[in-house]
Amino acid sequence: MKPLIRAGLRDLIRRPLFSGLMLAGLALGVAVVTAIDLASQSALRAFEVSTATVVGRATHRVVGGPTGVPEGLYIELRAAAGSMQMAPVVEGVVSALDFDERPMRVLGIDIFAEAPFRDQLSPGLVFDPDFQQFFTKPGMAIIGEEFAKANQLAPGAELAVQVNDRLERITVLGIVSTLGSSDVLLMDIAGAQELLGTSGRLTRIDLLADPDSVAALRTQLPPGLRIVSSSEQRDTADQLTSAFRLNLTALSLLALVVGFFLVYNTMTFSVLSRRPVLGILRSLGVTGRQIFAQIVLEAILVGFLGSFIGILFGVLLAHFALGLVTRTINDFYFLLTVREVTLTTSVAVKAIALGVGAGGLASVIPALEAARVPPVQVLRRSDLEQGARVWVPRVGLFGLGLAVAGSALFLLSDNSLPLTFIGILLVILGLALIVPFGTLAFLRLLRPLSSRILWRLAVRGLARQLSRVGIAIAALMVALSVTIGIALMITSFRSTVQNWLDITLYSDIYVSSPAAIGNRPQADLSPSLEARLARLEGVATVEAIRTVQVLGEKGELDLTAVDPRRVRDAGIYRLASGSARQVWDRVRQGAVLISESLEFRYGTTETLVLQTDAGEVTFDVVGIFYDYSSDRGTVLMSRDIYLENWDDPALSSLGVEALPGIDTYKLAESIRAELSGTGLIVHENQQIREEAMRIFDRTFAITQSLRVLAVVVAFIGVLSALLALQLDRRREYATLEAIGLDPEGLEKLTYLETALMGISASLMALPTGLLLALILIHVINVRSFGWTIQLTPAAGPFLQAILVGLVASLAAAVYPVSRLRRMTVAESIRGD
Amino acid sequence: MRIAIVGLVIALAFGGYFLLPTPSDPEIPTYQLLQSSGPPEFERVQDPREFSFPRDHGPHLDYRTEWWYYTGNLVAQGGERFGYQLTIFRRGLTPGGTRRESDFATNQIYFGHLALTNVDEGEHVALERFERGSAGLAGASGDPFAVFLGDWSIQSLDETGTQVRLRASDVGFGLDLTLAATKPIVAHGEQGYSIKGGAEGNASYYLSFTNMQTQGSLQIGDRIFEVSGKSWFDHEWGTSALGAQATGWDWFGLQLDDGRELMLFHIRKGDDDGDEQISGGTLVAPNGDARWMTADEFEISPITTWTSELTGTTYPSGWEITIPAEGLELIVEPHVKDQEMRLNLEYWEGAVRVSGSVEGQGYVELTGYSGSMRGLY
Repeated sequence: MKPLIRAGLRDLIRRPLFSGLMLAGLALGVAVVTAIDLASQSALRAFEVSTATVVGRATHRVVGGPTGVPEGLYIELRAAAGSMQMAPVVEGVVSALDFDERPMRVLGIDIFAEAPFRDQLSPGLVFDPDFQQFFTKPGMAIIGEEFAKANQLAPGAELAVQVNDRLERITVLGIVSTLGSSDVLLMDIAGAQELLGTSGRLTRIDLLADPDSVAALRTQLPPGLRIVSSSEQRDTADQLTSAFRLNLTALSLLALVVGFFLVYNTMTFSVLSRRPVLGILRSLGVTGRQIFAQIVLEAILVGFLGSFIGILFGVLLAHFALGLVTRTINDFYFLLTVREVTLTTSVAVKAIALGVGAGGLASVIPALEAARVPPVQVLRRSDLEQGARVWVPRVGLFGLGLAVAGSALFLLSDNSLPLTFIGILLVILGLALIVPFGTLAFLRLLRPLSSRILWRLAVRGLARQLSRVGIAIAALMVALSVTIGIALMITSFRSTVQNWLDITLYSDIYVSSPAAIGNRPQADLSPSLEARLARLEGVATVEAIRTVQVLGEKGELDLTAVDPRRVRDAGIYRLASGSARQVWDRVRQGAVLISESLEFRYGTTETLVLQTDAGEVTFDVVGIFYDYSSDRGTVLMSRDIYLENWDDPALSSLGVEALPGIDTYKLAESIRAELSGTGLIVHENQQIREEAMRIFDRTFAITQSLRVLAVVVAFIGVLSALLALQLDRRREYATLEAIGLDPEGLEKLTYLETALMGISASLMALPTGLLLALILIHVINVRSFGWTIQLTPAAGPFLQAILVGLVASLAAAVYPVSRLRRMTVAESIRGD
Repeated sequence: MRIAIVGLVIALAFGGYFLLPTPSDPEIPTYQLLQSSGPPEFERVQDPREFSFPRDHGPHLDYRTEWWYYTGNLVAQGGERFGYQLTIFRRGLTPGGTRRESDFATNQIYFGHLALTNVDEGEHVALERFERGSAGLAGASGDPFAVFLGDWSIQSLDETGTQVRLRASDVGFGLDLTLAATKPIVAHGEQGYSIKGGAEGNASYYLSFTNMQTQGSLQIGDRIFEVSGKSWFDHEWGTSALGAQATGWDWFGLQLDDGRELMLFHIRKGDDDGDEQISGGTLVAPNGDARWMTADEFEISPITTWTSELTGTTYPSGWEITIPAEGLELIVEPHVKDQEMRLNLEYWEGAVRVSGSVEGQGYVELTGYSGSMRGLY
């Protein structure tokens, strides 16, 4: 075997360009998968680390409603709990005004209850008389070493922070290594309560206890409070983001699929061009099996090499992907800072397995072909091509079967996201396999269009070279259809969200705190603001909005309590019993509306049980409304009803409606003047809308990037296929030149051929892309997030795909053409 | 005579507290701190002063450190003998009280030690706890006199604070005792002004009930013992006490069968130190009259030593005490050799029996044997 491998490798080395392209395509595919995997895992790990910072070794925690836990309960439990270890925690989010309003987590602890739970504070700190200010002075905070270094903060530095509707200053008392780069402001529990304005309340009580004691404690808790285990907390984070992360992973796999085509393409070409050598080997007594093994082994070696390069590149790419992933997680799920990308063994192993697997698998058919080379047919090279007439329909049929099976899989798989993705992958593969057939049909249609010699040469030439060209076209088609599908989905989604904003963003001016994470307000604004704003000249109504997280039967969900006076537009309802007026009347009486995502999580339900300050309360559900602001689901209720059930008069934001004829810009200015010193942000309707769309675009930035990467891989595929084509047809070209076709004509022929490839790929990508978009919108989105998206017919993505296909194939022709120029007739004929 | 222990305990205890091995085995953190403007301006103990009760049983927030120290020897109905110690310490971070919005806000830290000695079984158990002096977690008041640290509490049963109830329990053991002073309060030194170091201000205010009739119950494991006996109460506060050269001290609180009580302390210095050693004592007569004694009036000579198997520390473990002017020649021996307080600060504090010219019982405290305390406080 060894000489065989050496011969094979020599062959690969002798064609550095092909091998390089094959390697590049595979590496890029692996890199994309690795980058997404790494970014997603790093984000999760960062979440775990930051959870560890905050949760520490607590086994359980006592939590309450939006306003947390009364501190008196902690004192009581401490007196009664005997040996159970517990620690009070006050947490909140402020925004650091000098650091781009970056959200920072305030962690207020009681150092004397802490030791069993967390390790942030060290002996030296308490030895130090200077540390006493931690207790005795308000606004003293300890920060992480790396965070301090990164932001050039030394002990004594002051941080301006926005807390709810106040501007405050915090002094850096000390810097500890244990907090690292986390955005935590570690404070004494008293200082934290005072800073956040939550005196008398705790965010939670951490427990270190065995299940029996916890069960006993559970029965003693007043209504509205509950005990959750720390692992539940971690699982929630995992679950919250799992659909999002799975979508990214699936998308990244598409890049690998395109890479897979590339390997197949190159290996097929390699086999074809080595047929003479293989034939000689066969006549020397090498068995077909040995040749099969050799080809597969070569591909596996390439897979290995490609994986390694892919991993290296993937780590670089991950830094970029990480920013985008983190951004989205912050926008939609929870506060997270991730700066590190660490390559783990599992990610590396996965990447190598994928790379090697893809390489090996892609080489099976070419390897079978090579093994079948009979010793006598040494010099005949177009066997496979002649067989094309036979295999093209067969492969096409097989592809059709695959696509049907794939459709059946995702249609029947109910709500399993992984099965859905596998089904879609099969559909794409199936459609790709139909591509040669489609190309052939397309070329047949084209043939009669012109009788010029170049046209006929190009059309017939392509048809004859289908075994190579077909694959390149298929790869390009897959990439383009993915481009179309994703673009169409995003365009549709975007316009759906825009319509939705038109309906929901009713007020002229919005007032909110910068201490919001993405689209989730985190502030507790004073209820008196409502009256303050209502007094201003030009104000028609002020609508108070409260957004909090509450517990439902299936975990946390968002609750928005709104002013019941204004009847909601019928357009926000997807499903409701009665007219908009009737629905809203019921909401005023205590019923709730649930968002689509919530319906997706809870199923269609008549009632909803929520954990209120007085224990569990059942609310009637009178309608389902469109909402794209959260994928965990939102409950909409009247603020009057909210205040009856929760002792939480604070506001999250305010909407102001101007009197008719009032210039909203001027009104916004007067509101700003009224609120000066509070640090609150005053937005006009248009600005809020723009901000919402900015978050939307940010969310899809990574999707867009993946789409571009798939096209890049496909471009490499087309380039490599063209090169193969040109090399393979050197003799033919030379003959053509010899019989009078000038070099210019030859160039034209090449460009014509590649253009035909691009066009045929683009044409086939159009229906496939539309199909993909439909699947993404109606299956993937619904199964991942439960959102309804209206398909917006847009020509843009299609035209874009055709353009990209054409440009990619023509650009890919540039290099082969320049090679053609350097080729001399005699050399080519002799070299054959 | 335990003023210095507070500073030490607070430092070492906190240090050790955070050095306790933890499941996650954290790396030792590095840190950097803001330089403060200087030490807080606590008052210093410089003169004798008048006391008024029950107010002066309570906390003195203008001074940095303070403690309420109860020890005693008790006998159960079945004849089993026990010793106990319950101490609650207060450490002020800044003088005076605080006025802030949060109930948790505080400038006071409270911590406590609880120990029981089962004389017949030769067993000794001890543990400690910490709490911030706010939000109902720990605190003290003078009128009515009360000190509490979580569910450990000292609570006066009368208006003057001569009768108290002690309650403290934790995993495996606890006590619930009622104490009544049978003699008036003793103000050690010069009317309670007790000098502990050479430099001015190195002193404390030191008050005691040297003889308190005690009744109640002790819990050890699943067993409850109804007990009675005598307790000794020390209340001491100040801002700084020991000179820089002190390495540790020995303290004796003895209740003699002839109705007298004897308090002696001896501050030890390093071998290379020529400074005068500081010692002193108080002898309380059966009628409650107290007489201050200077170092030249008594002699304390260790007889034997005991080495802790667990810490390797060697302590004196038996003494001969002579007070010629009073005709006293006493032998003091621990009821149990191992009454080592293996807490974050290691020291020895235990029940002792007295024999010789008169019999009796009491408590002894030995610090600085597990390593010099020099420079730590």
